[in-house]
Amino acid sequence: MNVEKNLHKLFQEAEYCPESRLSENIFNTIEHKSTQITKLKRFGYLSLSVLSLSGSVLSIKSLIEQSSKLGFYDYLSLAFSDSGVIATYWKEYVLSLADSLPIASLVISCLLLFVLFISIQRVSYQFKARSIA
Amino acid sequence: MEENDNFLIEKYLAGDGDAFKGLINKYTTPIYNFTVRFVGKDSAEDLVQDIFIKVWKNLNKFDSNRASFKTWVFTITRNTITDYLRKKKVLLYSSFDKEEESYESNIEDEAVLPDEALIKLEDKNLLNSLLDKISPSYREVLILYYQEDMTFNEIGQLLNKPLNTVKSQHRRALMKLKEMLEERTP
Repeated sequence: MNVEKNLHKLFQEAEYCPESRLSENIFNTIEHKSTQITKLKRFGYLSLSVLSLSGSVLSIKSLIEQSSKLGFYDYLSLAFSDSGVIATYWKEYVLSLADSLPIASLVISCLLLFVLFISIQRVSYQFKARSIA
Repeated sequence: MEENDNFLIEKYLAGDGDAFKGLINKYTTPIYNFTVRFVGKDSAEDLVQDIFIKVWKNLNKFDSNRASFKTWVFTITRNTITDYLRKKKVLLYSSFDKEEESYESNIEDEAVLPDEALIKLEDKNLLNSLLDKISPSYREVLILYYQEDMTFNEIGQLLNKPLNTVKSQHRRALMKLKEMLEERTP
């Protein structure tokens, strides 16, 4: 037991200590790295936001045009003007309405809007977050 | 102590950057001391910085149910030192482990420690010079046990070795220390 006690005491005394500013230097290095990463993330998410916003505008524009070409609005207006016919032939009406939808444009628009939403959320998080956290 | 570490980690992960500063202040000296013993003073500070950067990058992966923060930090430290020495070609990957296999199972845990000579060991400079000469696998156990006040269980977790192996390694290290001490005394 005495050996253990003696060794514990001696080992504590024999501990090597770093220069006093080492902790501060480490913290500053990490803070600097953290700031760099935050800046990079902000830039990345901002770029993504801008790209997805432009993409969303274009794809929604194309979605509107294609919907018009495929007669989606004509089918849709029928629902308000002649509801009796729709009540009788609702199955055919739903199929025709679905057929007139530009599915690819719709999917792309939804995807881009989703990316836009996520990137805006990440950008606001990056601006709120303190550098090292 | 450990609760305090976990509290600081939770605070940091919740967005309080200063909490990490608390962890750095607490562990800089122990990590530095451990690192100096294996790489020397010239490279230790840079390596300690690298170790804390690794800790910072991986802090969200730390699981307090698997190990204490102290054990986790020292595991990262040990791995970083091993990588550094391997890159420098100073140490083969297995050097930390190479001396224990032949005796790990044949030493009684309760066996009497080699005392007389070690009781006389009172000079910290002498201890440091003996530690410099002893094999890395012995050195790390002695430092973790006597300097960092880790239990054999914690050391086993850190070195990924069974409890009895660590105990045997500790005892062998003390015997080696005693042997080296006796060689010095006329």
